[in-house]
Amino acid sequence: MAKFLFVVPPFFGHISPTLSVGASLLAKGHEVLWVGITDLADEYIPEGGRFLVPHRELEPHRAEINRILRRQDDGAALSGPQVLKLALEETYIPFAQMMREGLMRLIDEHKPDVIINDCITFAGGLCAYSKGIPYVTTTPVPPDVMGDALQAPKIFEWQQRLMRALQQEYGIYTDDFVMHSAQMNLVFTSESFARMPLAMPHMKFVGPVKGRPNHTFFDFNALDKVTTPKVFISLGTLLVDIRKAFFEKVIEAFRDEPLTIIAATDPAIIEDWPANFMVQNYVPQTRLMPFMDAVVCHGGFNTVNDALLNGLPLLVTPITYDHFHTAGLVVHSGAGLKLRYKRMRAEDLRAGVQTLLQDSAYKTASARVRDGFIAAGGNDQAVAYLEAFAASVTCNSTAIV
Amino acid sequence: MDSLVPTHAPVNSEDTFAVLKTFIEEIIGEDFKDEIDIRRDSSFTADLELDSIEIVAFSEKVKLHFGSKLDFTGWLSNMDLDELIALKLSDVIEYIEACR
Repeated sequence: MAKFLFVVPPFFGHISPTLSVGASLLAKGHEVLWVGITDLADEYIPEGGRFLVPHRELEPHRAEINRILRRQDDGAALSGPQVLKLALEETYIPFAQMMREGLMRLIDEHKPDVIINDCITFAGGLCAYSKGIPYVTTTPVPPDVMGDALQAPKIFEWQQRLMRALQQEYGIYTDDFVMHSAQMNLVFTSESFARMPLAMPHMKFVGPVKGRPNHTFFDFNALDKVTTPKVFISLGTLLVDIRKAFFEKVIEAFRDEPLTIIAATDPAIIEDWPANFMVQNYVPQTRLMPFMDAVVCHGGFNTVNDALLNGLPLLVTPITYDHFHTAGLVVHSGAGLKLRYKRMRAEDLRAGVQTLLQDSAYKTASARVRDGFIAAGGNDQAVAYLEAFAASVTCNSTAIV
Repeated sequence: MDSLVPTHAPVNSEDTFAVLKTFIEEIIGEDFKDEIDIRRDSSFTADLELDSIEIVAFSEKVKLHFGSKLDFTGWLSNMDLDELIALKLSDVIEYIEACR
């Protein structure tokens, strides 16, 4: 049995697949820890796992961490190049700097066999490299998300400069970038959906994973009585400020339509929801999806994966970050449509959903993506890769001793 | 030399501005075009608030209209982030003029 330590950012979309993989590792008898920068409620943590936050070392940075977290909501109002800056320069790199000291201590205390760092949580890779502990990276989004931007030489140079400076702060002077594992990178989609048939061999596309604890209540009896097509609409866990405006448009589009809208948002943002809406702030999304007929979302990857895993057609309204890239992949796969968000018109939203429900080609294409996801192996394949990795590195270290 | 200028291309910067303004209005659409004031010094991101989908549509139109002499995508890809963030309609006009 091995001891695995996940290093995660304070964004639930990135934590979520690690909870699912972690649950599967725990079920196989491994020891599993998480280290994050903000606390995670116990109900999300798989039985037997532990989620640690090095509060002592993070204390002086707490105000700054909170400021950075609040700043993420600005993403919705920023342009592509501004978002790149916000992500790398104002979020990932400062977090990597702040996590260093506390993560180093926790690694010394817990001595994991393998560190598994999320792709935007550079501290995990950098600490693992510094300590000589084998590490794997997890990528919960399609990998070449910055692809287009990095073809621009000055933007590429900017990214390289920042990453190199960060490594040097860690006392790492190699020419290679080591924040991501060169040995194994688990990617939670398929090569064909991500359109990366020529990915490097250490990129392991295992498809979406599931099984994290989710005890959220939903009135499935009420859902059972619904006779009209059911459309799930969510903007994910970030981007709270823009919800009112978005759902006002959703209401304009679908009020009194022969549809039932399952809206994942705080009901308090709107005073009067139409009768054909079921509204709840947090929903058990993976358990709800099998009952849906279509999904409208912003292109957050967990929602897209949940929809595709159920063979559902999608309408994506990309807002910021990697959403545009993901929306492009959805459209290319044939499983859905994209609609601009800022100047979205209610009639286009309504027409888009009608098209998805009437033209079976979208559903067929989504089912094709689902088959590819299932073939990629999901949790079992991820665990098999991690066990093989742990076995190979444990062997090596024994041999050295 | 004038005879070499394609007849559909505008001949001065006022005309170029008018063409680009039409492109932006077409992309933004009837329902929204009154909400924004398109000026020469409008920036694409802060003032016009064009998102990625709309900027791609804009550059397609520019390429189609102004023709092959102009490497609009190549020009954009040589900018750094701050230049992209600050990009104004007048920069595009100047670039188109310079390519003549």
